[in-house]
Amino acid sequence: MRRVAVIGVGVTKFGKHDRTSAELFAAAAADAITDAGIAPSAIQALYFGNVTGGETERQLHMGPLAATLLGLPTVPTTRFENACATSHVAFRHAVMEIASGVSDVVLVGGAERVLNVPTESATEFFAYCSDASLEQPAGLTFPGVFALIARAHMDKYGTTEEQMAHVAVKNHRHGVLNPKAQFQKEISLETVLKSAYVADPLKLFDCCPFTDGGAALVLASEEVARRYRRPIWVLGTHAATDTMFVHEKRDLSRVTATERAALGAYRQAGRTPTDVDVAELHDCFTIAEIVATEGLGFFEPGTGGLAAEKGWTSLGGKLPVNPSGGLKAKGHPIGATGAAQIAEIVTQLRGESDRRQVDGARTGLTHTLGGNTATVVVSLFGRD
Amino acid sequence: MTERVINLKSFFEEARAGRLTGIRCGGCGELAIPPKEFCASCQKRDWQPVPLAGAGTIVSFTVIRVAPRGRGDEVPYAVAVVKLEEGLSLLGRVVDIPFETLKAGLPVRFRPVQIDSQTVIAFGPA
Repeated sequence: MRRVAVIGVGVTKFGKHDRTSAELFAAAAADAITDAGIAPSAIQALYFGNVTGGETERQLHMGPLAATLLGLPTVPTTRFENACATSHVAFRHAVMEIASGVSDVVLVGGAERVLNVPTESATEFFAYCSDASLEQPAGLTFPGVFALIARAHMDKYGTTEEQMAHVAVKNHRHGVLNPKAQFQKEISLETVLKSAYVADPLKLFDCCPFTDGGAALVLASEEVARRYRRPIWVLGTHAATDTMFVHEKRDLSRVTATERAALGAYRQAGRTPTDVDVAELHDCFTIAEIVATEGLGFFEPGTGGLAAEKGWTSLGGKLPVNPSGGLKAKGHPIGATGAAQIAEIVTQLRGESDRRQVDGARTGLTHTLGGNTATVVVSLFGRD
Repeated sequence: MTERVINLKSFFEEARAGRLTGIRCGGCGELAIPPKEFCASCQKRDWQPVPLAGAGTIVSFTVIRVAPRGRGDEVPYAVAVVKLEEGLSLLGRVVDIPFETLKAGLPVRFRPVQIDSQTVIAFGPA
């Protein structure tokens, strides 16, 4: 298999937009192509991610639409949907298209627009990513899924609501340093702890927001990448799936798909958790970051809450997690999130992250989780 | 022989009548809900329906206060993962149990509820 590099990244401002998902993606993609310094005509395929366009915009077949708006109407496109892991899944397939020798340059990413519909509608559409036979009729929501996980983690390890709140405070502090973040405002521990319950024990400030935004990456084979500025190498990318049903998870305090995806990615990259200098991981809810830092091997099971409380995951800590502000503060346009996480890690490894730069970062990790913890992709990146 | 149990429709028809039904793998004895084709444990395709008593204990729970569209008048409501005495688990709505008494290990019993003419798996007091 051939080596693959990320040679260009583009991310729109995250927040509320009056542009469509396809427009948002096209804007991010044009930025990524410009960032790479490559001719648009060099793009041989588009792997595009979007989740709720059929519901929020009455728009399907969005791959060709995005390509058309980008000004590349003849590029072959594929649309991906894997809940919140959508564009990380698309990324893995784009890597495989290049690694296998089919193409040399592939554009990949995604976009989402949900702030054009009421919150209760967005909550409903996101819940479509859980099972429609047993779980949706019971009224299970995504905060509900992670609340079940949070309570199991609290019962098993003694993790506290205050420890979860530390994740929110930290990611908002990082978000202040990211001009593209939806929220660029610090919050206090008290603000989190006094916010209203959405699904006990998760409160409003334990939850990431609904977000509009787009993100795109230009990937290239080694031969092509060498001709462009500072390629960031894909060291490994691995996907794992777990049962869709929450009741079938063997241990609600763990996300086994994260553990399996991480194992595969580390093995492929020839790296271990201690090699990782910076990570962007899936903090859709504060407990999700805690469980992910354990599943990725950064901290022992049950100590992710302590790591957040002690500041080990803060910029300047042992292992900075979500320097971008994470889903919590940067925002979570679900179809764009995976690509946006990768864009942040690429920027970090290039040393171009300004005030949120992790000094000397050489190896970075991205982790994206979809749906009822059923889909996880983990990727590792390195620089020359 | 597994035709009758390997679909969600019959599972919910049984549930609506108060009969919780799982399937047991003829290869390894694994119990499962909902019906599926191959056994995830031993890969056999040899299921038999088994009636479940409906008794279990709460594994984890949450009280949902922000609901999807169309369910706003139902909040707050509790949802729990319940471990049934036969060993498998099931997710459902919790009814007729005060929120403040909910905790892991609390005994509960299956009872179906109808919401908008849809059968919903639920658990009430043991």
